[in-house]
Amino acid sequence: MQLKRPPAQLHLGLMAASCALLSSTVRAQTVDDSGQPLQLDTDVLYYKENAGRVQTVEPVVSLKKDFGDLRTLDGTLTLDSLSGATPNGAIPARRPQTFASPSSTSLTPQPGKKTTLYTVAPGDLPQDPHFKEQRVAGDLDWSQPLGLDNTLSYGGHASSEHDFDSVAAHAGVSHDFNEKNTTVSAGVNEEYDRIHAHGGNPLPGSDYQLYEKESSQTKTVSGALLGVTQVMTRNWLTGLNYTFDHSRGYLTDPYRILSEVDAQGDAGGYLYERRPDMRTRQSLYWFNKLALGSPVLDLSYRRGKDSWGIASDTVDAHLRIDLGRGMYLEPHARWYRQTAADFYDLYLSAADPLPTYMSADPRLAAFAATTFGLKFGLSVGRNGELSLRLEQYQQRPSEQSSPLPLLQGLDLNPDLKATIVQLAWRVVF
Amino acid sequence: MSRSQGAPAASLPHAPDFVLASRESGTIAVCFAAMASPCELLLETADTHAAAELGQLAAREAWRIEVKFSRYRPESIISVINRSQGHAVRVDVETAALLDYAASCHTLSGGRFDITSGVLRQCWTFDGSARLPDVAAVEALLPLVGWEKVRWRAPHITLPAGMEIDFGGFGKEYAVDRVLSLVTARFAGAALVNFGGDLAANRAPREAPWQVGVERPDSEREARLLLEFSQGGLATSGDSHRFLLRDGVRYSHILDAHSGWPVAQVPRSVTVAAGSCVEAGMLATFAMLHGGEAESFLAGQGVRYWCLRDAND
Repeated sequence: MQLKRPPAQLHLGLMAASCALLSSTVRAQTVDDSGQPLQLDTDVLYYKENAGRVQTVEPVVSLKKDFGDLRTLDGTLTLDSLSGATPNGAIPARRPQTFASPSSTSLTPQPGKKTTLYTVAPGDLPQDPHFKEQRVAGDLDWSQPLGLDNTLSYGGHASSEHDFDSVAAHAGVSHDFNEKNTTVSAGVNEEYDRIHAHGGNPLPGSDYQLYEKESSQTKTVSGALLGVTQVMTRNWLTGLNYTFDHSRGYLTDPYRILSEVDAQGDAGGYLYERRPDMRTRQSLYWFNKLALGSPVLDLSYRRGKDSWGIASDTVDAHLRIDLGRGMYLEPHARWYRQTAADFYDLYLSAADPLPTYMSADPRLAAFAATTFGLKFGLSVGRNGELSLRLEQYQQRPSEQSSPLPLLQGLDLNPDLKATIVQLAWRVVF
Repeated sequence: MSRSQGAPAASLPHAPDFVLASRESGTIAVCFAAMASPCELLLETADTHAAAELGQLAAREAWRIEVKFSRYRPESIISVINRSQGHAVRVDVETAALLDYAASCHTLSGGRFDITSGVLRQCWTFDGSARLPDVAAVEALLPLVGWEKVRWRAPHITLPAGMEIDFGGFGKEYAVDRVLSLVTARFAGAALVNFGGDLAANRAPREAPWQVGVERPDSEREARLLLEFSQGGLATSGDSHRFLLRDGVRYSHILDAHSGWPVAQVPRSVTVAAGSCVEAGMLATFAMLHGGEAESFLAGQGVRYWCLRDAND
């Protein structure tokens, strides 16, 4: 018996060829040619925000049919049901504030018009308590080899809500080379949306009192992706993806308003938000899969930047630990931060000239967020898997208060905490 | 040259039968026959029901690979290619991956390993006798040998009329690795797949490494080579009973694809441990093709190996 020495060039070549052979055919082949497997994934996701805010229940059913030779058809059906209170963008005040729910067509009761009002207590964050939405979405994706070293995939997506319809299509190709150790991919996607808010789409930047509403609006999103995946060693796979997308049309949130305050901080009125009708987003995503003995670590970093001035960083880590007997545990940690959009503000100051673009949407604010979670999976029978995921999300905005006398001591953009519970079941027939 | 594929498997059962046997504490062995070899799957479990299911899976996979790639089966893809008479044959992804592998091995071995060399069997019969073929007969077959004459551009292969290919040089090792990966995907414990001495394991059992007995090809020393093995692949290439003996010269069944004649001074057996069974098997084969330099070839590869020669070699 010999001592171990570094492998020679020939052995390295053979190692690469053997790995390519085994990895390509592991994906390609099934045990029995007569019955290609059908994979069924079902899960229910429950998401609940703190302080009686939004909660959603989202059942998802996904069917994946393998036709052999790497040809797969993937279909997903998602049902969303959102309910609870959602912030309307106005800030808390020292006196009660009254708003109309979006489905209203007038702020004051008038014949032939519909008015549903809600009043917010002093010091409370204005939230629309009547928020309720249901969404149904479907996805269909096809993937097939193109020659031996290329994969072609294309698909479509459609979703519908009471106030939003979306259709999208995408296509992509990937090419394997370097003994299948390197994969480059490219894709494009196109999305077309129609926004027809309850009670009509408000005129962006218009006075809330005037209740100026328009009929439906549209928006389109065109995107492209370029990626490379590289097998570095037997235990390390890494990849880099660059995505670019360009949106144009009605990008304003039809339900968001801003408070307009005087020098004391008293809200004199409200305006509907107004966003630019174009947005360009770019992101660079670096991901790694590392086999650390038996545990597998997924580690990624994403840098995003858009033309609205939002720059973001995401670090995400998943560690999968096999416990034996078909069980595994997967801790998850995620850290995120973003800068605010150029036109974001907590409120508008009546003394200042009216900006062209404005929004108080907390999603456009500067904030940092963390997610901690744990997933437990269990094999059921020979081909089934049951998993339960629990996660806690916490979002902390950078700017939460104002020096204006009447606003002092008020939390203008409170922290957000959310709990996520997901129960999933997978079975291969 | 070609590694042993064994005798033609004329009648395979529809699904290989297997038997369960309890080994050392905590291990169950599932045994069946496939690819003209005794096959076993060792599982670190006490669950006989799960072991039987995995055994079934293993046996079916071995059988699938044998049916699909055996050159003795007229319906196999190999037979279809060998009968194609110069016409292009479109192959599936798995066959393509194996052809790519064969092409890589041909390049890496400098043309010594060649899946088209099987036609030389028409004049070489390694039965221990002294019957050497006619030099002219070997010469006549050489135009039908040479991977470089094959046009392989996935997914189409075009084989000149009269030429043949076979996956005997790595088919069984491939089956071993495939079965191990199928089993590992469904079974969390330690598993070892052993098809007639070519084997692969996902990891060592909790108690101790796997104990593996490798057949010594020489009849004088009956004792088997006992190895400790925890994960990866282990394969043996040997000329056990397949040789010709004439005028005191031993002609091994390892044929040089360039000359059509046996490689000289081939070791009796080479066993290699590597990352996977296909990798180990191919290194062992390459070593055999190096004849007298087998040991120095292996010493340069950075692997564990056991090279056995006759005392008088």
